[in-house]
Amino acid sequence: MEFGWSPEQDAHRARIRDLLRDTLPADWEELSVHGPGSDYQTDYSREFCKLLADQGLLIPHWPVSQGGEDMPVWHQFILGEEMWAAGEPRGAQYMNVNWVGPVLMKYGTPEQIERYLAPVRAGEAIWCQGFSEPSAGSDLAALRTAAVPVDGGYRVSGAKIWTSYAGKADTCFLLARVPASEGGAAGKGGIVILLTDMRSPGIQVKQIPALVGEGDIHEVFFDEVFVPAADRLGEEGQAWEIINFALANERTGIARYEFSRRILDRAVEKLKDEGRWGDPVVQDRAGRALMLCEAARMLVYRVVDAKAHGSPPDAYPSVARWAVVQADNGVNDFLTEFLPDGLLGGDHVQQAHHQRAIAAGVASGAAEIQLNLIARRWLELPGEARR
Amino acid sequence: MNYELNDDQAGILAGLDQLLAAHAGGPSGEPENFFYGAALDTALAESGFLDIARIDGFGPLDAALVVERLARLPQVVEAAASALIAPLLPLEPGERPLALVSGDATRPARFLPVARHLLVLRQNDALLVSMEGTSIEPVESLMAYPYGRLDSLNGLSAQTLANAVDIRRRWRIALAAEAAGCMAAALDTVIEHVRTRQAFGRPLGAFQAIQHRLAMAAETAESAKWLAFRAAWSDGEADAAIAAGFVQERIARFTYDLHQFSGAMGLTLEFPLHLWTYRLRALAGELGGASMQARAAAQAVWGVA
Repeated sequence: MEFGWSPEQDAHRARIRDLLRDTLPADWEELSVHGPGSDYQTDYSREFCKLLADQGLLIPHWPVSQGGEDMPVWHQFILGEEMWAAGEPRGAQYMNVNWVGPVLMKYGTPEQIERYLAPVRAGEAIWCQGFSEPSAGSDLAALRTAAVPVDGGYRVSGAKIWTSYAGKADTCFLLARVPASEGGAAGKGGIVILLTDMRSPGIQVKQIPALVGEGDIHEVFFDEVFVPAADRLGEEGQAWEIINFALANERTGIARYEFSRRILDRAVEKLKDEGRWGDPVVQDRAGRALMLCEAARMLVYRVVDAKAHGSPPDAYPSVARWAVVQADNGVNDFLTEFLPDGLLGGDHVQQAHHQRAIAAGVASGAAEIQLNLIARRWLELPGEARR
Repeated sequence: MNYELNDDQAGILAGLDQLLAAHAGGPSGEPENFFYGAALDTALAESGFLDIARIDGFGPLDAALVVERLARLPQVVEAAASALIAPLLPLEPGERPLALVSGDATRPARFLPVARHLLVLRQNDALLVSMEGTSIEPVESLMAYPYGRLDSLNGLSAQTLANAVDIRRRWRIALAAEAAGCMAAALDTVIEHVRTRQAFGRPLGAFQAIQHRLAMAAETAESAKWLAFRAAWSDGEADAAIAAGFVQERIARFTYDLHQFSGAMGLTLEFPLHLWTYRLRALAGELGGASMQARAAAQAVWGVA
């Protein structure tokens, strides 16, 4: 047991920081205020990810056979940590490299792998995640968007909501349900995953104004959209397994605590400039926010370490996610109380952090679902079925 | 970065577990506020586990692993100060137990009734006081440690030490590691209880209101553990203050919830939960409590002013 970085890991991190410093526009802080899902960052991601690809830093953790370098798990994580802390200049494409690509490699047909991974490797692909619906958010299995089997594929009708990146996406990782009337199984077994071309006739995307940033979330309507059977990922009935694999990667993919920690560092500098750092109350509250960031870091690192050791998946990502949500909100609460002007037009970065923090407990499923998972899978508490 | 035990660490803990197996079964007799493990203390002293940080190739992390493991036991022994603080003091291996107090030397101190030395941590220095031939006034309390206090320092042999900063840092690490072990054991106790205790026709643990708070308690226990081990590994000011402050900040909520889910049983001495929660409550107020640690962490990371 030890908690230090190897010289190779330090060098990897330094290389990424240098690249970010030399590449990001001078006014990046202002440009990135609306977050990775904004129109600006989605467009910028195509430029930035191309550069990352040229430098071998877009998919280094992928297997060599898929264009990667089999880079160790920790190197991949350091890359993600630095990117998120810098405001995630990969925009929507962080999702491609973290889980869309790995999911396709594991479950895709050779044709799907060939077709979809090439643009990801080139840093050009924008995916959106068609999971949540008006009546199915964290309770994903309640989704109702219908995929009616027809000759050669499916006709999809329904609506998705709170969909990030949909306005600019090329492809949707769409979850839909084969209706029972068409032979679909009940519950999770009736779900299919359709890799849906967002230019297909019958798709309409509408942006939803939101607290979390301009252009970040959308409604997506599907009206008799034809999706070829060749674009179904996995078999009918296999979707839930694939989704769990995808979410396990998604939930630890974002190093939110690192952005929070850097915002906290920045806030203290500002408080010093204003002559307020000598106040023991300010120090106490900053220290408590710091503790939350470091606790989250230790738990996320524990998840990464288990992955690096090839340990089988467990419920620890849920434990870590809860700590991450506490850290994001703890820092946000500190900033809101002690530097309120930052949210009144005074500080783009603080506002950007605020917008990330208020979404931290909701994005990729309510954090309370993680508490359920910790209780059942980590603490092995009895479920309702044992009543 | 490696969260798994290396071969040496695994060997130490396996050896410790072997020793502890001989003391398994926990305390017997009438329920008490705490059970002082006198026989275990002797066995530990003879085995050398508490001197691990003094051995070449080993250090504070190995000591913290031992302390965390021992804190899970229902019986209490003085391990944290001996394993993590004593190596900084002019004490030979085995010169223990060591009692600690901060500020006024006559405040109640954990383990003072059994201690060979009392370490008094003051703002800028420390006093190492020999307890030989001294009578200690026991302090009755709910806390699950033997407490005692001195009338005064008059007539006692005391040595002034300049390394107060180092002592305070190690005390924070010791506190964090001990609290982490207590949390793990307390949580295990309550998890077992809510799995089996039935109410309204189902186990308590099947109620979501309880599940969620226990899940949060699990996050607390895990965070406390890893922060403590990191602090022991780095032996750094910021990490130590973060680890101690985090766990102290969480103790109130953690112990409240665990007692709450144990109901009236948890208010009795027959139910063992207090053996850990009343160690935690004692630790919550050491070194000035969470706020002092939070401010120390803030100053260590960002400077004084």
